[in-house]
Amino acid sequence: MSSGGLHPVLRIALLVGVLAFYPLLFGGTLNFGFSLVLFAALATSWDLVGGWAGQLSLGHAAFIGLGAYASTLLWTRLGLPVWWGVPVAMAAGAVLASAWGWITFRLRGAYFALSTIAVAEVLRIVANNWADLTGGPEGISIVSLPSPFGLDLFGRTVQFYLALGLLAVALLVSWRVGASRFGAWLEAIREDEDSSMALGVNPARMKVLAFVLSGVLTVAGGALYAVHLSFFEPQGVFDLHLSVQLVLMAIVGGMGTVFGPTLGAFVLLGFQEAFRSTFQQASLFIYGVIIVLMVRYAPDGLTGRLQTAWRRVRDGRRALDAVP
Amino acid sequence: MTVVTLLQTAAGGILTGGVYALVGIGLSLIFGVMRIVNFSHGEFMAVGMYTAFVLFRHLGLDPYGSLLVVIPAGTALGVAVERVLLAPIARAPEHTAILMTVGVGLILSNSLLFLFGAHPQTLLASYSTATVRLGPITLSFPLLVSFGLTVLVITALYLLLTRTDLGRAIRATAQNRDAAELQGVDTAWIRTAVFAIGTVLAMAAGVLLLPLLYVFPTVGSTFTLKAFVVTVLGGMGNVVGAIFGGLLLGLVESLGASFGATNYRDAIGLVAFLLVLLVRPAGLFGRSRV
Repeated sequence: MSSGGLHPVLRIALLVGVLAFYPLLFGGTLNFGFSLVLFAALATSWDLVGGWAGQLSLGHAAFIGLGAYASTLLWTRLGLPVWWGVPVAMAAGAVLASAWGWITFRLRGAYFALSTIAVAEVLRIVANNWADLTGGPEGISIVSLPSPFGLDLFGRTVQFYLALGLLAVALLVSWRVGASRFGAWLEAIREDEDSSMALGVNPARMKVLAFVLSGVLTVAGGALYAVHLSFFEPQGVFDLHLSVQLVLMAIVGGMGTVFGPTLGAFVLLGFQEAFRSTFQQASLFIYGVIIVLMVRYAPDGLTGRLQTAWRRVRDGRRALDAVP
Repeated sequence: MTVVTLLQTAAGGILTGGVYALVGIGLSLIFGVMRIVNFSHGEFMAVGMYTAFVLFRHLGLDPYGSLLVVIPAGTALGVAVERVLLAPIARAPEHTAILMTVGVGLILSNSLLFLFGAHPQTLLASYSTATVRLGPITLSFPLLVSFGLTVLVITALYLLLTRTDLGRAIRATAQNRDAAELQGVDTAWIRTAVFAIGTVLAMAAGVLLLPLLYVFPTVGSTFTLKAFVVTVLGGMGNVVGAIFGGLLLGLVESLGASFGATNYRDAIGLVAFLLVLLVRPAGLFGRSRV
């Protein structure tokens, strides 16, 4: 699937390197830049299980919410600084993903997608009602944060680079998965689970692994999101629409590709930002229309479209060269 | 808790559960025949609610009477969505259809948002608060009517599936699509018919729930989840199972809420759903389909 040229790791480095200039060039729109990079990272993480393994999760908000609440509560309630809180939250995410995957991946088809919504919804209801712990529907705010190495974690620039770091990690993981035997197994499961079993692959186990990887990265993103918001409520972080947004970014960009979800995140968020005043109310309506159109006419996403176009151009040129 | 309150709660739960069953049956039927999990099912229900709401407010049509409009409207909507959006991707992988219905659901719920605004509205018919006394138990009159109509609709569906050629063709398609095709069943048309029936059932359920609930544009997503729970409890694709699944969900929710877990009402069903997935993934009532 590589269309020649640079080694993928160099491409990742190039992308991250270019993005690193964002705060210098567009210092005034750091909130937007943060969203771009964070959502690219989240969509790339989603794609590990949704794209590579083909298991449609419509409940990744469960991990975002878990990351947000776990890291925040460990800090505000127990005084555990975020650099300890986030790994603990990630471990919790791994436990959640393993248990959840263990229950649902033994079954095929839609059960997993159904369960993802249910889990996110149950967590939202619990966060809403367990007010003593979570602050309930009124939400929770982060008033102060420790400053490691004198860095102000409330600073937008610091947050941007943290999100960029997460994106780099997510892209590298995605590339590693795609280039490994594990990735090939996941694709085999996605294409035909029975045949993959005939090859000696244990589908349930591989799917759980992909899910844990995806969940852990998403939890980290959720913790960062919480710091960025510094005030959030269950409705905001466990929202089904948040989950759908990640799915949509991956579809638009191209599922099961390294850079597809990032491209999708940039396109969708750029679109949303450009038309924010016009379509503030309509964004979900537009999302719906985009999903329907993409599924119907471009199931491979923009990356797939671009690759086809590129191949056509290249083959055309070769054909011309071949003419004596 | 006295015996009377317990009976009262249980009766209310079963009556509500009947309407849940109606939502669930449509979803189960669609899954059984089309192998598609319709993530826009609750949104169709919301469309039914708003249709009845508008007819009541502007034309003074009785909510139950609006079923006469909603049923043909639902048929048309179901046929259109299936023909235009689902039929072309019939052979695509499963997640494609899920995404498509998620998209349709978003479009529907946000169209309702544009048209009617986000605030919850309620319909006050003359009988909205009327009650019927049955010995020591008091039951809400609209809930009773809704339950009665639900029984009627389910009976009609049962007769359709068992006594007509269309029903036989639907069951044949659910059992084995290729074999049905070999027997001369036009399975593409059957899929359209089934999606239309499912849409009608969802929209009718919306009408029946209207006198009991606040209506707001995103009311559907809760019911999509409830329909999933009902379907999984009864076994995916098992229509009779869905009836029991619905009654069970209504009962469990209502009893759970009266035992002090009011705020967790919606979570109860979801936890039950996850437990059933863990213990009996084929549903509580075996594994037969349609």
